[in-house]
Amino acid sequence: MGLDRRDFFKIVTAGSASMLAGEVKAGANGGNHRFSDNFGVLVDTAICIGCRKCEWGCEQANSLAFRDKSEYEDKSVFENQRRPVPDKYTVVNTFEKPLDPANPYYLKVQCMHCNHPACVSACIVGALEKKTEGPVTYDPWKCMGCRYCMVACPFQVPAYEYAEPLTPQVRKCGFCYDKLKDGKKPGCVEACPNEALTFGKRGDLLELAHNRIIQNPEKYVSHVYGEYEAGGTSWMYLAGVEFEKTELPVIGSEPIPEITESIQHGIFKAFVPPLALYGLLALAMHTFREKQAEKGDNHE
Amino acid sequence: MKIISKNPAIVGLFLPLILAVGFVSGVSRLSADEAKKTTLDCGECHTCENPSAENLCLKPCPSLFMLQEHAKHTVTEAPDSMLLKILVNEYGPVRFNHKLHARMSDMDKGCAECHHYSPEGRIPPCGECHGGEANPANLRQPSLKGAYHRQCLSCHREWSHSTACAVCHIPLGAESLTGNVKDPTDIIGIPHPLITEPVKRVYYTPYDRGPMVTFYHKEHIDLFGLRCVDCHQKENCVFCHDLQKPARLKKSQEEVHAICSGCHGTHKCSKCHDKKEKPAFSHADTGWPLSRFHRGADCRACHPTGKRISKLNKECIGCHAGWNQETFAHAVVGLQLDEIHIEIECADCHVDRKFENKPVCSGCHDDGRDPRKNPPGKKI
Amino acid sequence: MNNHQIPAPVKAVYFTRGARILALIAGIGMLAYFYRMIVGLTIANINDQYPWGIWIAIDVATGVALAAGGFTTAALAHIFHRERYHSLVRPALLTAMLGYTFVVIGLLADLGRYYNVWHPVLPSMWQGNSVLFEVGMCVTIYLTVLYIEFLPIVVERFKGKVDLPKPLAGLNKIIELSLSIADATLNKLISVFIIAGVVLSFLHQSSLGTLMIIAPTKMHPLWYSAVSPLFFLLSAIAVGFPMVIFESLLASRSFKLKPEIDILSSLAKMIPFFLGIYLGAKFIDLTLRGAWPYLLDGSVESFVFLIELGLGAVLPIILLLNDRIRNSFGGLLAASALVIFGVAMNRINVFLVAYNPLYAEKPYLPSIYEIAVTIGLIALLILVYRAIVMIFPVISVPPSDGSNLVDRTEGSLVEVRR
Repeated sequence: MGLDRRDFFKIVTAGSASMLAGEVKAGANGGNHRFSDNFGVLVDTAICIGCRKCEWGCEQANSLAFRDKSEYEDKSVFENQRRPVPDKYTVVNTFEKPLDPANPYYLKVQCMHCNHPACVSACIVGALEKKTEGPVTYDPWKCMGCRYCMVACPFQVPAYEYAEPLTPQVRKCGFCYDKLKDGKKPGCVEACPNEALTFGKRGDLLELAHNRIIQNPEKYVSHVYGEYEAGGTSWMYLAGVEFEKTELPVIGSEPIPEITESIQHGIFKAFVPPLALYGLLALAMHTFREKQAEKGDNHE
Repeated sequence: MKIISKNPAIVGLFLPLILAVGFVSGVSRLSADEAKKTTLDCGECHTCENPSAENLCLKPCPSLFMLQEHAKHTVTEAPDSMLLKILVNEYGPVRFNHKLHARMSDMDKGCAECHHYSPEGRIPPCGECHGGEANPANLRQPSLKGAYHRQCLSCHREWSHSTACAVCHIPLGAESLTGNVKDPTDIIGIPHPLITEPVKRVYYTPYDRGPMVTFYHKEHIDLFGLRCVDCHQKENCVFCHDLQKPARLKKSQEEVHAICSGCHGTHKCSKCHDKKEKPAFSHADTGWPLSRFHRGADCRACHPTGKRISKLNKECIGCHAGWNQETFAHAVVGLQLDEIHIEIECADCHVDRKFENKPVCSGCHDDGRDPRKNPPGKKI
Repeated sequence: MNNHQIPAPVKAVYFTRGARILALIAGIGMLAYFYRMIVGLTIANINDQYPWGIWIAIDVATGVALAAGGFTTAALAHIFHRERYHSLVRPALLTAMLGYTFVVIGLLADLGRYYNVWHPVLPSMWQGNSVLFEVGMCVTIYLTVLYIEFLPIVVERFKGKVDLPKPLAGLNKIIELSLSIADATLNKLISVFIIAGVVLSFLHQSSLGTLMIIAPTKMHPLWYSAVSPLFFLLSAIAVGFPMVIFESLLASRSFKLKPEIDILSSLAKMIPFFLGIYLGAKFIDLTLRGAWPYLLDGSVESFVFLIELGLGAVLPIILLLNDRIRNSFGGLLAASALVIFGVAMNRINVFLVAYNPLYAEKPYLPSIYEIAVTIGLIALLILVYRAIVMIFPVISVPPSDGSNLVDRTEGSLVEVRR
């Protein structure tokens, strides 16, 4: 974390210096731009029509279920807010469109693939991993099932196979990492007929998102969810109403694992603090032993 | 480039300038041979082999902003029905009744309802720019599949509340059975009635003193030159249809009054309301039948305030006092005056500038000639 | 070793009525435990929103905290050489050893893939950013250290007395040899392990408090603090002595031994000091974070928070500052029980009450199986403790009852007053 912060300050100082020189640079949170080349997806809730084909595509790509496409035309599922579950890495929910309540907005939910994933930081055995391309993947063979990742996730995304007696897994969207490596798009993006999901480099997606906001100020609020949330995420959202009114949580721009990691690395900085404590206690033991011995001698 | 890429607002402000400077400098410097040396593919932006400064023949596609151009097109230009089958793989093609949609759009934003780029002349079909796959180099441009679905579903789901594929897509293979083609206007199990322009409509209203309102629809178009959208504003599909509610075929009293009063004013009910069917408006009833010259004129040209004109005499100069041989194009009456006659005063033929009377030649010619048989120019 | 207090195996009837009831509870708990191992976590009321239940909050977090008596007593007696407390070291060590053992057993119930519990030991899976990794490693090493620290007791009990029955008689010499080697080496190395035990305890006790910092958006502001590890450490230190006192009193009552009130009372004198530091730190933290308003908003959390600190910290300080209460059996028992209650409640609060996940449909309440396992493990722990103190020389009997003692070197067991 120390390195990150140093980077951050470097960028900020460089930025302000160049601004003084009359050059306009990208704003604060410069650290985010390190993730510009990561893959990401922009979810445009103003374009999404709630057809749920992304759910179908996801289930096909991950071999979760093999239902007929037409089954996803059932709109009754929107009556309840759904969450990703072990056999559904992504779900579409609704949120209210103030001007047209009969045709609500739709919101696809899945793993956000944070730039600084709390789950990866939390994982005790490294079963969760942030790939350089952007995805946060999971290796069930390493996992011991402590579920600390689920506690850590600020978006409450990972689901657990509680019903599985011996080989339960943490289940969440893996960004179709294998498909990505083959130069393909994730299953949900491929299935989206309306192209409400745009797959691309995170930097390009941010540009696209801001472009859409500027061109259609009446259609979007000026906020790209995921640009800064939790230190930035690979998946980002556009919406027509304030994100406070959606089910997406309000999250600050600091990376979630920042505090725990700085505490951990502070305590274990080159093992100096534990060794110092050890030395101190050894010294105390020695001193008090001598004292006790003297006392004992006096008593004798 | 970094500045541009990080600040779309700046791009928005300076894009036209950048493009203009870029084209002028770029095109004038690059010869065709030099252009071939660049790694750019000319065909990506240009439609012709050798673009020049005079003829850039630019494709509308690779733009930072969605191209917006809306020349005036009419419904009659629209193709009747089309089979969208370029992308057929999982689903069958879509039979798209273009004309029906054009008619409906005519009551809202017209062609622009769907076509964001409809320049003068030929309107390029969607597939000319939007490719089969989303263009990774230009994330702003959806693929053809995305563009189609966005166009259709943004409206369709508003009233159908459904995103079922089979609403539009013909089942795979079915399109070959030509006799069995689904009626493209049948989108919810009932074919949509053809949208026609009625000649006249009689409305029965709850207004006691004049329950009947006779509305001459055709007259408003033909006589007064109104376009559909002048009265039918924002009447897209969802205005009438919502499958969760009965179809809305009538406008509310307020809505109707608002439309009519936009031109007529609502201060006088009897203007429209009557106990019986009103006859169509005829200018002759006012004691002033419109002749061939006035018939085609815009009402407001004579009635700029919309008010009645009273105490008119039948003399042309009563209104057209300013006419003289220079300001009046004589050809409009069907006679192009020859070089001699075009120079002389109006009153030389039209005695006392009484244009409504027959002109005479006797002011100059003694041979008693008749202007009908011996016109002072060429009849056209 | 102190010359007037000699630890010896306690001689008593094992299956008293209380022990039978405990055995029943432990039996039910074990059935639930094995049922869990076969059918999986579905029998627990945890879900995607509440992935952690009482198995983590009580069995693990509270278990670790309450085992703090081991390192605090070891530090007091061995590092700071307060010799008069030597008689408390062995019971505290045994509590810590059993406590951590049962933490691991409880943890196994909670792990979805318990057979992978050894994975953090593999360098290929080391994950230095994970707080849990540090806790896991520290607990593993500390547990080993605890077993090593306990070894001298085993040696003391069996050295020179190994006499296995006929078929295994051949092993007698080998075991005897290894015992003497252990005896010789351990005496020289034991200090190393004792200090290591304290350092490891400092590390993982505090790191348990770091665990929930990774969920800033879900934690109630009364408990969410960046210095939470400090609170965990301070409260662990504060609960160490009360735990030792509580156990000692209960053990003396159970085995009908005369309680060492004078030693325990002087030990209890230190408790208000540690509790005071803990309370003061909490006070400063709440002020600095401006979290006081949450204390008065009438929510369940504010109520629970007040109970946690009021009953668990303020009240015992008041009680223990009173000489008469501190020198009475009942007063000591109540005060130490209150501290234990307070710290246990703190752990439960941090891990369960303060944790408000998004999208939760209903609050978490433990299932009957979770309760059965948790209570069953506690009952089993007490039974194992009881068995060990009856086999090994753990509990010291005060010299006033010297008539009951037989010289240790002669190898007879303690005769206990009936």
